[in-house]
Amino acid sequence: MAERNRTRHTGRFTPYLFLAPYLLLFGTFVAAPIVFGVWISLHEWDYMLPNKPWAGLSNYTDLFDPDSLDFDDFWQSMRATGIFTVASVPFLVVIPLGIALLLHRRFPGRNLFRALYFAPYVLGVAVVGLLWRYLLDPDVGAVNFVAGLIGLPDHTAWVNSLPWAWIGLVAMTVWWTLGFNAVIYLAGLQDVPAELHEAASIDGAGVWHRFWHVTLPGLRPVMAFVVTITILASANMFGQSYLVTDGSPGKDTRTAIMYIAQEGLRGFKMGNAAAMGFVLALMLAVVSILNFRLMRYKE
Amino acid sequence: MRLSTFGPLSRRGLLGLVAGGSAAMALSACGGSGETADNSHGGTTYNGPKVDLDFWNGFTGGDGPVMLKLVKRFNSEHDNIKVKMTTYKWETYNEKVPAAVKSGKAPEVGIMHIDELATAAARGVILPLDDVADALHLAKKDFAAPVWDAGVYQKKRYGIPLDMHPLGMYYNKKVLDSAGLDADKPPSNADDYADALHALKKHKIKGMWMTPFPFTGSQTFQSLLWQFNGDILTSDNTRPDFAGDGGVKALTWMVDVVKDGYSPKNIGQDADAVAFQNDKTAFNWNGIWNINTFAGVKGLDWGVAPLPQIGDRKAAWSNSHNFVLLKQLSPDTNKQAASKVFVNWISRKSVEWAKSGQIPARTSVRESKAFAALKEQSILATQIKDLHFAPSLAGIGDVMPYIETAVNEAVLLKKKPSDALSDAAGKAAKVLKENREKYG
Amino acid sequence: MATVSRRRKGASIGWYTILIGLSLVFIAPLVWMFITSLKSRDEALRMPPTILPEHVSGKGYGTIMGGDSQAPVLTWFTNSMIAAVGHTALVLVVASSAAYALARMEFPGRKVLFGLIISTLFVPSFVMLIPNYLIVDSLGWIDSLWALAIPGAAGAFGVFFLRQFFMSLPPALEEAALLDGANHFQIFLRIVLPLSKPALATLAVLSFLTNWNDFVWPVYVMFNPENMTLPPGLASLQGAYIADYPVAMAGAVITAIPVLALFLFTQRYVIEGVSRSGLKG
Repeated sequence: MAERNRTRHTGRFTPYLFLAPYLLLFGTFVAAPIVFGVWISLHEWDYMLPNKPWAGLSNYTDLFDPDSLDFDDFWQSMRATGIFTVASVPFLVVIPLGIALLLHRRFPGRNLFRALYFAPYVLGVAVVGLLWRYLLDPDVGAVNFVAGLIGLPDHTAWVNSLPWAWIGLVAMTVWWTLGFNAVIYLAGLQDVPAELHEAASIDGAGVWHRFWHVTLPGLRPVMAFVVTITILASANMFGQSYLVTDGSPGKDTRTAIMYIAQEGLRGFKMGNAAAMGFVLALMLAVVSILNFRLMRYKE
Repeated sequence: MRLSTFGPLSRRGLLGLVAGGSAAMALSACGGSGETADNSHGGTTYNGPKVDLDFWNGFTGGDGPVMLKLVKRFNSEHDNIKVKMTTYKWETYNEKVPAAVKSGKAPEVGIMHIDELATAAARGVILPLDDVADALHLAKKDFAAPVWDAGVYQKKRYGIPLDMHPLGMYYNKKVLDSAGLDADKPPSNADDYADALHALKKHKIKGMWMTPFPFTGSQTFQSLLWQFNGDILTSDNTRPDFAGDGGVKALTWMVDVVKDGYSPKNIGQDADAVAFQNDKTAFNWNGIWNINTFAGVKGLDWGVAPLPQIGDRKAAWSNSHNFVLLKQLSPDTNKQAASKVFVNWISRKSVEWAKSGQIPARTSVRESKAFAALKEQSILATQIKDLHFAPSLAGIGDVMPYIETAVNEAVLLKKKPSDALSDAAGKAAKVLKENREKYG
Repeated sequence: MATVSRRRKGASIGWYTILIGLSLVFIAPLVWMFITSLKSRDEALRMPPTILPEHVSGKGYGTIMGGDSQAPVLTWFTNSMIAAVGHTALVLVVASSAAYALARMEFPGRKVLFGLIISTLFVPSFVMLIPNYLIVDSLGWIDSLWALAIPGAAGAFGVFFLRQFFMSLPPALEEAALLDGANHFQIFLRIVLPLSKPALATLAVLSFLTNWNDFVWPVYVMFNPENMTLPPGLASLQGAYIADYPVAMAGAVITAIPVLALFLFTQRYVIEGVSRSGLKG
């Protein structure tokens, strides 16, 4: 009956009028690019030259052919993205949980602290990148200075040597974005039904036991979500490398996105870059699906 | 001719008309003075409506403010032309310019290095400017030959050389003194240099910070490569030569400086120059463009000399800034005319530009008294015969990153010099082949 | 309330110590950023560093705010403002209309369309980077604020977010209005939107922040410093003023203050928006 009410007094075209503005944008800047991107990836598309000869799947197969020009650079950039993701995700999944647990209680100033830990996230990568480039400067940066004060080596080359460049990049990313994950966890913690905790306490379970057997399982879906978005965010890393290490040492910290953007929008090898983008996207899709399956399976 | 067509006739414009009339006589008198004379020959004045010009470059070092001052002076002397200068890091600049040209957002005037002209011309990014060269009465004899020739691609001229900027050896007199070395006689050959580094090490000073970055690690490598009789490409520009004997010797020397303890490992970008400024090192092989940066550091007691001869002959890396006109999607004849006036004007002020730490491209300016008064630049200008430029080949820019990576990996002790170079040469050979097919 | 007995009330001194200690880790770099922006170029390069500037220098700010500066920060600021406000307004208008149609109207293909839109949420943005560059170029929008404000509004998040919200509104009011003879436009404008202020506010703030901080796209699409917004402008600072940290920090401060101020006043919305996304995801 409700459905009949809905369609009375509405023009046949009303839904389409409501949808039209959005669909125009969506069609032009989301749907078309995805299709166009596939089209580009099937050609030798050099933006500066008039001819764009058909290449079939060669842009894709080149990426798996060790003799092709792009092979080394592409997989090095993928490796860089992989290293950063593997290094950053654990910290970005565990530490925010700890902070959320700290904040998951009522006390004066709680919202203030929550805001403080979240605040760096609203600063864009440009601000954070410039700031940490300075802090991590091997010669005049505050990080090395403080390290020297507490007895650690005071001249670590954070910006252009491994593994320090990765450590620096991961540390700054954790500083920047852990508030975001913490807030998501907090919401999830508030969702864990109190009855479960009460039941556990009545059964004589201690804090740790309750955490492990009540809180964590209750958090499982939220955790799966956090892990997934963190992996995606880390795989998309661009600004930190661009602004702080500029890919150095050599091209070791040049992430996949940096390489793809450079090849496509500055080197103008758009066909190759588009293919790389799709390969990376497919790999991320596989990782996300695996992740969700794993988290669900444990239940 | 109707005066109203040209708008308000300035005194300058009037001079132009008069001068144009007696052009024949004036031509012979004005050739190659390089002074700040107020000549207004045909093609060097602009009388059209007010235009704004965009001028992009990569002058991020001490040369930036000097160019900016010149630009401001130009603007104040020309009512109807306003030039706006924008500076990017060279890497970013090189990436942005072709993209900007393609989308019609390119500046009118830009600076390019001489080794980039061929590629840019091949890709249709820059416009031929034979007429500008004619208006300036420029001929080969006015310049160092490689610089002049390298600006031509497929028989058309694409760049007006502004300067040459080689690598020089800066030495810190205070630090040399403290190690008991003669601060007024820096080493000029391999043995003296090695002795100096050794003496410095005895005094716990790391005498030469070896940087792994293109600025100036790759440039140091290329200088040494030529000193050891190698070259970047074979003489027909078809195959890489840098991984041969000369290259291995050059890179090994650099790596040995690190291994023997004369340099820290893992130096940050520009950290070698910062160390030089902070009296932490004695020698800094750096570009002539750092003259003003070092001059501005209070308490720094320094000098500069031509690169020592480490190899079998003298050689030093050099590049050259050239003015170029960028292709516009919808060419504006007024802006083009104004751009040529701008290029003319700055080119005539090349002594002023030399003060920024450059060697003027024009022979007459180099031989002038005004230039001789610039002590450090003159010292480095004595290397003119030994300056080497990269091969002028379309797409040479695709080869250099492999060399830079090889130098980076070797200096950071990640790969043996011979391995780093041969890996790079393998990739370079592929790129050279691809480019030959692409550019013809 | 059931939750009260589980959450421990209050916090001990030890607790506060940990929390405050953690806060310092987050705040200290920002304070350092501000202090550095007030130093002279040489003082910022000094080691050991001075905690407070020996001579407070306005040169950091002066260099980038001056008229003939190569880094016209105020122009960037204005551009950022225009792009972000334009983008946010556009998002609110198109996403709310589309979300309303998807939430409340029946029409053929509704499920398929919604599925299509939602599926793009899983497509990473870099896939669209290159094709969008070409599309934007053919529109003549390269190096203009149009390129920064418009394409981003096509994202699926706003539609998804508002549709969820609209569906959570009790339908009684709308149905009563329909019975009274109102059409969908009137219902949308006079009933649904006013009821949706919190969600709209959240979406507005999140959209503004996302656009203000957008980095990769503007870096590649904007060329002339006069047209840039703050993030690509800041990136170009590293070129125009090498190793001039007070200038870089001054630029960073000028970029950070508006978003921090916005966050200060709207944190409820931002944090709630973020929280919700986790619960639904």
